[in-house]
Amino acid sequence: MSGAIIDLSKEAPPAAITTEICVIGSGCGGATAARLLAEAGHEVVVLEEGRDLKGPERTQRDAPMYDQIYMDRGGRASHDLSVTVLQGRVLGGGGVINTCDVVPIPEGVLHHWATKYGLEDFAPQRFKRFHDDALADLSASHIPDSMVNAANNKVRQGAEALGLRGEVMMHNRVGCRGLGTCMLGCPIFAKRNPRMVALPKAIDAGARIFTRARAVKVGKSGEDIKEVTVRTLDPGGYHEQRELKVRAKVVIIAANAIASAQLLLRSGVGNAQVGRNLILQPQLPIIGLFEERIAAFDGIPQSYAVTEFEEEDNAEFGLWGYRIEGIMGTPGIVATLLPFSGVAGMQNMARYDRMAPSLLLAPDAPSGRVQVARDGRLTIHYEQRDDHKKRLRDAVRVASKVYLESGATQVLVPSVPPLIIGSSGPGKLGQRLSFAPATAPLISAHQQGTVRFATSERDGGADLNGQVYGTRDVYVFDSSGFPSSAASHTMTPIIASSRMLTTKLLTRL
Amino acid sequence: MGETGNEESARDGLFSFLSRRRFLKVSLAAGGAILGVGGGGLLALRGRAPPVDGLRVLDAHEYRTVQSLVEVMLPKTDAIPIDAASMDLPRAFDAFLADEPEHNVKDFQKALVLIEFGPLVFEHKLTTFSRLAVPDRAAHWQEWAVSDNLLRRQVSMAMRKFFNLVYFDHEQVWPYIGYPGPSMKRLGRVEP
Repeated sequence: MSGAIIDLSKEAPPAAITTEICVIGSGCGGATAARLLAEAGHEVVVLEEGRDLKGPERTQRDAPMYDQIYMDRGGRASHDLSVTVLQGRVLGGGGVINTCDVVPIPEGVLHHWATKYGLEDFAPQRFKRFHDDALADLSASHIPDSMVNAANNKVRQGAEALGLRGEVMMHNRVGCRGLGTCMLGCPIFAKRNPRMVALPKAIDAGARIFTRARAVKVGKSGEDIKEVTVRTLDPGGYHEQRELKVRAKVVIIAANAIASAQLLLRSGVGNAQVGRNLILQPQLPIIGLFEERIAAFDGIPQSYAVTEFEEEDNAEFGLWGYRIEGIMGTPGIVATLLPFSGVAGMQNMARYDRMAPSLLLAPDAPSGRVQVARDGRLTIHYEQRDDHKKRLRDAVRVASKVYLESGATQVLVPSVPPLIIGSSGPGKLGQRLSFAPATAPLISAHQQGTVRFATSERDGGADLNGQVYGTRDVYVFDSSGFPSSAASHTMTPIIASSRMLTTKLLTRL
Repeated sequence: MGETGNEESARDGLFSFLSRRRFLKVSLAAGGAILGVGGGGLLALRGRAPPVDGLRVLDAHEYRTVQSLVEVMLPKTDAIPIDAASMDLPRAFDAFLADEPEHNVKDFQKALVLIEFGPLVFEHKLTTFSRLAVPDRAAHWQEWAVSDNLLRRQVSMAMRKFFNLVYFDHEQVWPYIGYPGPSMKRLGRVEP
């Protein structure tokens, strides 16, 4: 039996749908689980709040794409606007909006999780096969040197001149033509997964995938039956229209670390740990400014990383330190990150084609919390810790050396007020880069940890099977479960862990 | 099981930091300026805004505030000699708001009140944002970004994010920033 993608903004839904398994979220975790379960012969329904954007609809334009493929139309942020929170809202989820970075969970982190948190299934040897399968799902390969774009090559040149360790990254593109707008959704579908692998396989195996379907509550309907309340959305995804119920024996929530916790909290499901231990892993942009035209908007936007200062086996935190990764964005998104307004803003954006930006990525310890008010409004509380600020300042010092070594005339840290670094270096940064709320354009693309996997209810929100404590057969199969930062990029960790958790679930069904 | 939230409560947005309580707190903490002038005085200070047809959310006063803001945020310069007025960004924002949840619209409208009466509230000047001469308005708006007051910085950042995104997504601007436009158009149809 073949399944289908059903757009509920266009087709009137039935009042109720009954299925064996309901998966909420169609990103890396949800699509992987749906595929494996459907292939094993189980009846699967997937609910996705976004819709399936066809090639021509992926216009490579900032305003319509942020509106359509990001949560809150790209406006999601932490409570005090310190951190912009990027989260996909499209069929395929984060796998559609990311920059295709394939980074498995480092062995040091797996060991850390197994020993410090008791997550034995993540012990390196036991977890290896799931990693291997995830890499196969992704058609993972090293980015060819010829496709490292100009901004990334500037980072590489500078790092190599300074003798810093770095690497051309792995990715999950097949047939990439270097169109440069990965973060706005690839118009030629060169990203292999989850939209182009797991979801088609799930459909082939009979899964029914409902788009423009927002899950708003998980409740009970009888002893062993869960009932998910779903509201359909209009074609633009702005307004709720109708309500239906999806009844299932098993509910798997994989809607991202923010939305999964939000759904559980709205539903009153789970223990007091749900929503806690949020990891945002905020990244700080920095920009090398060159005399010559860089034209970094062409080619793969993120392809080279300086890894010299990244620790993979920190005794207390697992992944620690920081890395520097080249990046580029379309004009609109770059302009939103710049601290200038008025004439200065115009003068700086006039240098757009001479910019070589990068992101300073420092893992953080759990220091945030997802909360939901009585009226359902979401709050993402996040306090940036001093050790995170310090590592970002260290990264600014190194990145500015890297850029100046590769020929930049200036380096811009887009804080308010702007920090412009010339040939004399950055000097003391403490006062000038305070990270006071709403002064630095911190970005979170790797939210984790709000329903932590734990060996006891006291320490987390879900057990080692991903089953939410206090429930029977309600699971989280996404980055919500990670007890510390899994990796610098979370696509591969989420797919691998969803594979592991689904494999375990299959033995119990 | 708890109650489900009301319609569209799952969505939030750029202005969600501006709760009613915070808004009142900031307005009152900003001194007796508003209280001193009084409600009738505030209306007189703001004056009349020219009518604007076809708005879905904003009223004429709010439209004028946004227009005044865009004028100083995205001015015509030698570097980018485009008149943002030709893009009617306030109307684009009106269209954006029309599809936002009601609580976000309210938050935004509070932010606009704060901006319009910013010269009075924060600098104790008997005038409004829209009535300031352009150089004075630009200087006043710059202070929002670097203010010690978190709420002013947040409003500044949120406005910058929205209007920069929309403005620099306009084709007219691209020749002046060296951007040749979406690669699919330049390269023609590209097959994977």
